[in-house]
Amino acid sequence: MKPAVFDYYRPATVEDAVAALGTSETAKVLAGGQSLIPAMNFRLAQPDLLVDIGGVEDLDRLEVGSEGVMIGASVTQSRVMSSDEVAGAVPGLRRALGHVAHLQIRNRGTVCGSLAHADPAAELPALAIACGATMFIRGPAGERTVDAGDFFLGPFWTDLAHGEIITGVHFPSEPAGTVTFLDELAWRAGDFAITGLAAALATGDGTVSGARMVSFGVSGVASRMTGAEQAVLGFAGGDDGSDLYEAAYEDAADAVDDVHATAEYRREALGALVVRNVRAALANGNGRGV
Amino acid sequence: MTSDSPTRINPMISHRAAHIGRAVLRREDRSPLTGRRRYVADLRLPGMLEVAFVRSPEAHARIISIDTGPALALPGVHAVFTGADLDDVAPFPHKILYIQPVGQTPLAVDRVRYVGSPYAAVVATDRYVAEDAASLVAAHTEFESLPAVADLDQALAPDAPKLYDDWPDNYLVNYPAEKEEVTRAFEEADHTYSDTFVSPRQTGLPLECRGVLADVVDGQVTLWSSTQSPHIVRTTIAEMTGIPEPRIRVITPAMGGGFGTKTHIYPEDVVMPWISRRIGRPVRWIEDRFENLVSAVHARDQRHDVDVAYDDDGTIRAIRCKAYCDVGTGEIFMPGTAPVFVTGGCLTGAYDFPNMEVHHFCVVTNKTPSGAYRGFGVPEGLLVMEGIIDQVARRTGVDRVEIRRRMILQEDQMPYVMHGGGRIDSGSHAKSFERVAELIARSLERIRAKYADDPDVRVGVGYTNYVEPTTPTYHLTTGHWAGYDSATLRVDPDGAARVGLGTTDLGQGTETTAAQLVADSLGLDPDDVTVVMGDTDRAPYGLGAWGSRSAIVMSGSILMAADRVMVKAREIAAHMLEAAAEDVVLTDGEFHVAGSEAPSVSWSQVATAAWVRTVDLPRGMEPGLEMSGYFEPPDLEHLPDASGKVNAAASWSNGAHAGVVSVRISTGELKIEDYVIVHDCGTMINPMIIDGQVQGGVAQGVAGAMYEEFQYDPETALPRFASFMEYLYPTCSEVPEMTIEHFETPAPEQPLGVKGCGEGGTIGPGAVVAGAVSDALADLGVEIKATPITPSAVRQAIREASGPGGST
Ligand SMILES: Cc1cc2nc3c(=O)[nH]c(=O)nc-3n(C[C@H](O)[C@H](O)[C@H](O)COP(=O)(O)OP(=O)(O)OC[C@H]3O[C@@H](n4cnc5c(N)ncnc54)[C@H](O)[C@@H]3O)c2cc1C
Repeated sequence: MKPAVFDYYRPATVEDAVAALGTSETAKVLAGGQSLIPAMNFRLAQPDLLVDIGGVEDLDRLEVGSEGVMIGASVTQSRVMSSDEVAGAVPGLRRALGHVAHLQIRNRGTVCGSLAHADPAAELPALAIACGATMFIRGPAGERTVDAGDFFLGPFWTDLAHGEIITGVHFPSEPAGTVTFLDELAWRAGDFAITGLAAALATGDGTVSGARMVSFGVSGVASRMTGAEQAVLGFAGGDDGSDLYEAAYEDAADAVDDVHATAEYRREALGALVVRNVRAALANGNGRGV
Repeated sequence: MTSDSPTRINPMISHRAAHIGRAVLRREDRSPLTGRRRYVADLRLPGMLEVAFVRSPEAHARIISIDTGPALALPGVHAVFTGADLDDVAPFPHKILYIQPVGQTPLAVDRVRYVGSPYAAVVATDRYVAEDAASLVAAHTEFESLPAVADLDQALAPDAPKLYDDWPDNYLVNYPAEKEEVTRAFEEADHTYSDTFVSPRQTGLPLECRGVLADVVDGQVTLWSSTQSPHIVRTTIAEMTGIPEPRIRVITPAMGGGFGTKTHIYPEDVVMPWISRRIGRPVRWIEDRFENLVSAVHARDQRHDVDVAYDDDGTIRAIRCKAYCDVGTGEIFMPGTAPVFVTGGCLTGAYDFPNMEVHHFCVVTNKTPSGAYRGFGVPEGLLVMEGIIDQVARRTGVDRVEIRRRMILQEDQMPYVMHGGGRIDSGSHAKSFERVAELIARSLERIRAKYADDPDVRVGVGYTNYVEPTTPTYHLTTGHWAGYDSATLRVDPDGAARVGLGTTDLGQGTETTAAQLVADSLGLDPDDVTVVMGDTDRAPYGLGAWGSRSAIVMSGSILMAADRVMVKAREIAAHMLEAAAEDVVLTDGEFHVAGSEAPSVSWSQVATAAWVRTVDLPRGMEPGLEMSGYFEPPDLEHLPDASGKVNAAASWSNGAHAGVVSVRISTGELKIEDYVIVHDCGTMINPMIIDGQVQGGVAQGVAGAMYEEFQYDPETALPRFASFMEYLYPTCSEVPEMTIEHFETPAPEQPLGVKGCGEGGTIGPGAVVAGAVSDALADLGVEIKATPITPSAVRQAIREASGPGGST
C-alpha cells in the first residue's frame, strides 16, 4: 500500500509548527514516523500536510535535573534508553523502553510520539501514568500542561486538541523507597503488549505502603487499577496473593477480545502479572521488569 | 529407471577432491548480502507503467456495476480494465476431473467470492496514482452482498449458501473411504473413542512478495515473474491466451523465497502480459504485503475428526479419520486439493500402521484460496498421529516412548508400503527415534532441574517420527504435468561448463548444489560451472522447484547429461591421444590413457576441438559438446490403482524430532527449551545447505505450532487480519536453538542415493510442541489438539480441563 498525496513542511520553530498545523484540518505532526507512516501506507491516515518537528529548535533537549527528566518532542526512544543519567533518575524509563519495539524502531521513534499516539497496548503511556509524568503542550492558545493521568482518553485518543503539539514530557525522579517497573506478556519479543503492567510501589519497609498501578494492552486505554492499588496496600508477600489477583482480575473487567487473546486470558494474565511483579519488587526492590 | 540413466558418478572419473558431500559455501549469498541481487521489484524498463489491482472488499457478492469513469479521469491514469474486458482469455484450465470446476477467470466477472479477489486493474504512471485510481474504482463499484460462508461447519450445513450455483453443495472434493479391516478392528478392540484435531490457516510468507513485469514487443512476450515454475507459467499463458508458446519467455530473476506459494499460477501472471499487449507498454505490478496476505495462497486449514480403536496394552488397532480441508474458494490454479490427500497418505508417519481409513474432503468457503506450503499436508497429519499415540498412552498407562518403539518402522521392513500406497524405499526410522529419545532425555533432566523451585512452571517433552515424501508426482496436483526434470550441459571452448536446469532457485542453494553435481560428474571444480535456471529461453523445459524435488531431479538429469557429454568428450580425447576410447580415463580434469598420466588432454582442448578447431575432431564426428538429460524418477507413480493406492513420491526421507517445552501455568507462557532433530535424507550433497533447510523448516514449523493463524470473522467471513500486526510470524528471537544430527541411508533407486530435504523441518514442531505442552500439563488433564498453541490457548485448555473457576 502507498500513502495518498500529502504536503510536507519542516519548520524551525514551535510557533511555525503550530501555525502550519492550523492551516489544515487533517494536518499531522510527524515525529519518528514509526506509527504514522505505516498508518499512511495503509491509507488509514490520510493527512494532507505533515509537519515534521525533527528540525524544531529546542525540541531535541533531554535534561536530567534534581526534579526529574525532561524529554523534548524530537528525542528518540534510543537516546532516552541509553542515557545512564536518565536511568539513575527514572529507572522505569529504561525498563519500559526495553519492551518497546526493536532497536531500529527505537532509533527513530520518539517518547513524545508514543504518548501522542496513545496506542492502548503501548508501554510509555502506562509508565507515564504510573510515574505521574506531565505533558507540556503548545497550541494556538499558547502553553499548557496536563498530568499523564488526565491525558489518555481512549484508544488513540488523548486530551490533545487539533493543532496542539506535545513539546516535551517531564518524568519526576523516582522517590526514595519507591520501585518503578514495567512487565508485560507479548507473544514475541518487541511486540506491543497483550497484557501489561506498569507500577510505582512504595515498598520502603518490605510492605507495600503506596501504589500506582496501570494496566495496558488489556482494555482500550492504559488505566489505573484502582482495586489492585487498594488490595496491595499492606501486602508483604506473605500470603498467596489471591486477593491481589482477584482485585486485578476485577480491574480488568473491560478487557478486550482480539485475534491474539481472549478477554478472559487478559484478565487472568493481568492478575498473574500483578502478583508475580509485586512479589519480585518486594524481594529484590526492583520488580521483574528489570 | 531408463537403461541409460546413471545412478552414480561415471566410474571413469576420479578426483583427488570430490565436491559432493562437502559443505561448499553458497555462491548465491554474496549478492543478497551486498544488496546486489536483482528481484522483480528492482527491474524497470523504459516507458514502464505501474499496475494496481482492485480487489474485492466483500467476502461474497455480486458485482452489479463498475464505473471506471472517475478513475480514468484522474491525471496519470492510462487505462482501467475489468474482468469483462478480458473476454479473449480463456478461464484457468480445469484439468483434474474428479474435482468440481470453479471456472476461475483471470479477473472476477459478475461475482466475487473472497476479500482480495482481483476484479479490475488500473494502469498509471506510478503506483501512487494507480492506488488513487484503484480506490476510485472501488468506490464506484456497486456490490450486492450475498450470504457468506466462513468455515467448514457453515459450508456443510444443510441450508448453506452455495459458492457455485451449479454445484450440488460446497464440496470441491468428496472422497469417502471404507476399509473392512478397520471396521473389524473397531468391533474387536477393547476401547474406542472419538476426537478432533485442528490445524488452522497459515501461509508460506516469503520475504519477497510476488511481482510481475510484462513487456510485449512485436508479439514477443517477456515476463519477469517471481514464480517457482516459469515453464508452467509459460505453458499456461499460452493455453489461456492463444499466444504461441515459443513467443513467450518467462524469466524468474532472483527470488526471495516461495515456500510453495509461488508454485501456483496467479491471475496477475496472465493479466499483466495481456495488459502490456493491449496498451503497448511494459507494465509492472509488485505485490504489497496486504495483497500477499489476502491473495497469495493460504494453506493448512484442516480439521480431522478421528475415531480410535485401541487395546488395554496400548496397541492402537485402527484409526478412522475424516480429513476436511477448508480450501477457501478454490479459485486458484493449480487447485488446493492435493495437500489433504498427502495428509491422509502420510498421517501414519514413520510408523507401521496399516489399519488406517481416511476420508478426504475439500470444502469451499468465502476465504482466500488455499494451496501449497512447505510440508504440504504432512504437518497436519502428524499432529493427529502423535496426538493419538499420546492419548492412548495416557488412557492405558503405557509409556509414550514404548508405544512409539513398538510401532516404528524397522529396517528389515523396507521397502514398506504405507496404508495409502506410499512405498518407503529405505530409512533409519527406528535408529533416528532411539537417538532423538536419548538426546532429549538428557536435556529434559537438565530443564526439569532448572525449574524445580518454581511451582508455576511445568516441563514436558514431545516427539514425532515422520516420513517426508519427496519428489512427488505433479499429476495428482495439476492433472497435467507429472514428474521429470531436465538439464542441458555444455562444455565451452575454455573448458568451463554451463548447465541449464528446469528447476529453479528460490533461495535454497540450488546453484551451489548443481555446481557440485556438475563438477564431480565432469571432473571439474565447482567454480568452473555456471548454472542457469529460471529462464524459459535459456534453460530447458522443466517443472520448477517444489516438493523437495530438486535434489533428485537435478542429480538425475545432470548425471544423464554429463554421461552423454563424457561419451563424446572421451572419443574426442581418445582421438587426440591416439588411443582407444575405452582406455581413456579422466583424472582431476585431464583425459589420459589409464595407467599413464602423460600425455594428457584438457577439457579445454577437447571442447575447443568440439566447437572451434573442428578439424581436430575424429573424421565424421558431429561438432558441439552439449547434451541434455530428461530424468523421470524411477518408482514414481502418477495415478492411483483400482484400490486408490499410489506411490506418489519418488523417495521418502525420514526424521525424528523431540522438544522440551516449559509452560507457566498462571499465564500460559510457553518456551521451547530444547529442540533436537535426527534427520535422514539419504546421501547429502551439501550438509551445510541441508542443515539450513532443516533450520528454516523448523522455524516455519514453530510458526505453525505457536504463532501463525489467519482468522476470519465467523459471521461475515471478513478477514480479521490486514498486516503483521495481526498475523504473527516468529522472528529470530522466537526460533529455538536446535541440535541437528544426520543419518545417511541412501535411496536405493535414486541417483547418488539422494532423497530430498526441503520440508522435513516444517513437519515436526506442531506435533512436538503439542505433545510437550500436553505432557507438561498432564496432571491438569490438558490435551492440546489444535495449533497455534499461544499462551491464550494454553490458558483456555487449562480452564476447560479443570472446569469453571479453574484460575491460577
Ligand atoms: C514494528 C513496530 C513495532 C512497534 N512496537 C511497539 C511496542 O512494542 N510498543 C510501543 O509502545 N510502540 C511500538 N511501536 C511504535 C513506536 O514506538 C512508535 O515510534 C511510537 O508509537 C510513535 O512515535 P513516533 O515518534 O514514531 O511518532 P509518529 O509515528 O511520527 O507519530 C505518531 C502519532 O503521534 C502524533 N505525534 C507525534 N509526535 C507528536 C507530538 N510531539 N505532538 C503531537 N502529536 C504528535 C503524530 O501526528 C501521529 O499521529 C512499534 C512500531 C513498529 C513499526
